[in-house]
Amino acid sequence: MLTDVRPIVSTLRRHRLTATLLVLQIALTCAIVCNAVFLIGDRVSWMLTPSGIAEGDLMRIIVSDIGPRRDLHARVEADLAALRAIPGAQAVTVGNSLPFGGNAWNSGLKLDRSQQSPSATVAMFYGESLVETLGTRLVGGRLFRPQEYAWVDDLVAGKATSSHVAMMTSDLANRLFPGESAIGKEVFVGGEPVRVVGVLERLPAARVGAREDVNNTLMMPWRMVPAYGGGYFVRARHGEAAHVLKDAVAALKRVEPRRVIVEARLYSDIRGRYFANDRAMTVLLAAVSVALLVVTALGIVGLASFWVAQRRRQIGVRRALGASRTAILRYFQTENFLLASMGIALGMALAYGINVLLMRQYELPRLPWTYLPVGAIVLWGLGQAAVLAPALRAASVPPVVATRG
Amino acid sequence: MLKMTHLAKVYRTEVVETYALRDFNIDVKEGEFVAVTGPSGSGKTTFLTIAGLLETFTGGHYHLDGVEVSQLDDNARSRIRNEKIGFIFQAFNLIPDLNVFDNVEVPLRYRGMKAAERKQRIMDALERVGLASRAKHYPAELSGGQQQRVAIARALAGSPRLLLADEPTGNLDTQMARGVMELLEEIHREGATIVMVTHDPELAARAQRNVHVIDGQVVDLAEEPRFHAHAHTAHS
Ligand SMILES: Nc1ncnc2c1ncn2[C@@H]1O[C@H](COP(=O)(O)OP(=O)(O)OP(=O)(O)O)[C@@H](O)[C@H]1O
Ligand SMILES: [Mg+2]
Repeated sequence: MLTDVRPIVSTLRRHRLTATLLVLQIALTCAIVCNAVFLIGDRVSWMLTPSGIAEGDLMRIIVSDIGPRRDLHARVEADLAALRAIPGAQAVTVGNSLPFGGNAWNSGLKLDRSQQSPSATVAMFYGESLVETLGTRLVGGRLFRPQEYAWVDDLVAGKATSSHVAMMTSDLANRLFPGESAIGKEVFVGGEPVRVVGVLERLPAARVGAREDVNNTLMMPWRMVPAYGGGYFVRARHGEAAHVLKDAVAALKRVEPRRVIVEARLYSDIRGRYFANDRAMTVLLAAVSVALLVVTALGIVGLASFWVAQRRRQIGVRRALGASRTAILRYFQTENFLLASMGIALGMALAYGINVLLMRQYELPRLPWTYLPVGAIVLWGLGQAAVLAPALRAASVPPVVATRG
Repeated sequence: MLKMTHLAKVYRTEVVETYALRDFNIDVKEGEFVAVTGPSGSGKTTFLTIAGLLETFTGGHYHLDGVEVSQLDDNARSRIRNEKIGFIFQAFNLIPDLNVFDNVEVPLRYRGMKAAERKQRIMDALERVGLASRAKHYPAELSGGQQQRVAIARALAGSPRLLLADEPTGNLDTQMARGVMELLEEIHREGATIVMVTHDPELAARAQRNVHVIDGQVVDLAEEPRFHAHAHTAHS
């Protein structure tokens, strides 16, 4: 296949401008598509971050009750009883936050009371039996005991005292106490000492700053009430979430007809909204990549077709001098391979440059080197696919063209 | 070497069938230098095109070097063109993007020859036509006569048994034409079989044998001195 390389290169040199333009187009496509695919991969893996909760079965209903705030606890108990009575409802609680739920409750965490700045900023999760309701896995220690829970409004009013226990994710535990068990360790949250009694597999924060901090979360045994920012979390039996959501709204309305339902959403919807921008960006990048590849393929088809038409006579002459159809086909395939290779080589350098720029501007990770050979193969393939039709047309030029033009 | 019997070539278009050759008979012996003459449109180029396996024919037989060529597939025909036949065209047909050296190399590459041997043959052929010093020039930088000599070098480099030339001097002035003719005579003396189409009676006279084509047929000038200006066409 490569026997023709030298004369092809000298021919391309005679058509330097056209060849250069195509090489640049391939290089730009290579560079942009490599980075775009990398960004897409990065976003997609972020969007797929596991939450460790029973995503398909969960929902959240936020209500706003008008009127005097008397008997908060009785109302919550009545609501919960109504929700539990729904056929298909498996677990029910009032909680403050859901992974990727949008409304974050953050606290500074210190390992030592006298510490100047916190060791970590942690997302706080509250709610009775929240672990059981969400389906989060406990990987060490124990869950909260019933007597450890206290009402959030009582805690705020000083009518109750905290039981000073907490659960944290294994990510946070490993960070704070590398190589040791976190169970039984004391940390300080809001100046108060709490003892770690349980370790959770994972529980992503409601709103994530840096991705590596996604599981920096801590759970405390507080009973939430809607008036203090809590929402009703309902876990349905598998496959029944949609109708349970409808029934739950109706049930809550029945308990208190004048209340406003601020939000009633399936968890999949909540999570989908959180990643909406990432999804839009992914679609945009994919569209740009496809468009670039298509435009480049068309550019190759166009130039190859032009060259085949322009060289019709010399193709006939080559055939007359003994070139087989295959040899003519190979000529154009080799020519395309050379142009693509030059484009790819330049494109790799450019891809790296763009990546360095993105790394500086947007704190992106370095482009893994595996993208380069994959990108090269894709562009070589694209080039060969695009050049095939014109090359076949060239191969079908009859040798008699040499005498008859 | 080249034997056609009752050969016919019909060009069909939607409205007409043109008999470019009919009952065409010719027998060129090994080592002969034959000049083909005839009026415009009589079928000279058609004959040469079929002789050089650039085109297929419609009827009759053609034996090239003892082989009936009508049965050969495209690859086999390409190989025979490459190994046994050298072409010289009126319009030179050098490849404009390649320099003289690379032009002469074209048929040798299709033969899959080693680089060292290719180089040797190219330089020998260029030496032969007196253009060794122009190896790095491009066709556009050469005169017509020089371009045709490069084309001859390209035809010679593969040491073909049969040289086919279609009005090789048609685009050249008298002096350059004479130079090309002398070169062909020299090549012939060295053993090649040459079939040359020409309009020039003076050049034709220098060949060993003259074949006159009229209306797609070989005629004996002494017996049949009539003149047809056009090929026979039949409406279908
Ligand atoms: N592709 C074709 N389709 C139809 N008719 C053709 C084709 N090629 C040649 N012919 C016809 O065949 C006849 C012979 O043409 P040919 O080119 O062989 O003549 P020629 O003797 O070489 O003429 P000239 O001296 O002008 O070169 C002509 O009538 C021509 O019009
Ligand atoms: Mg002719």
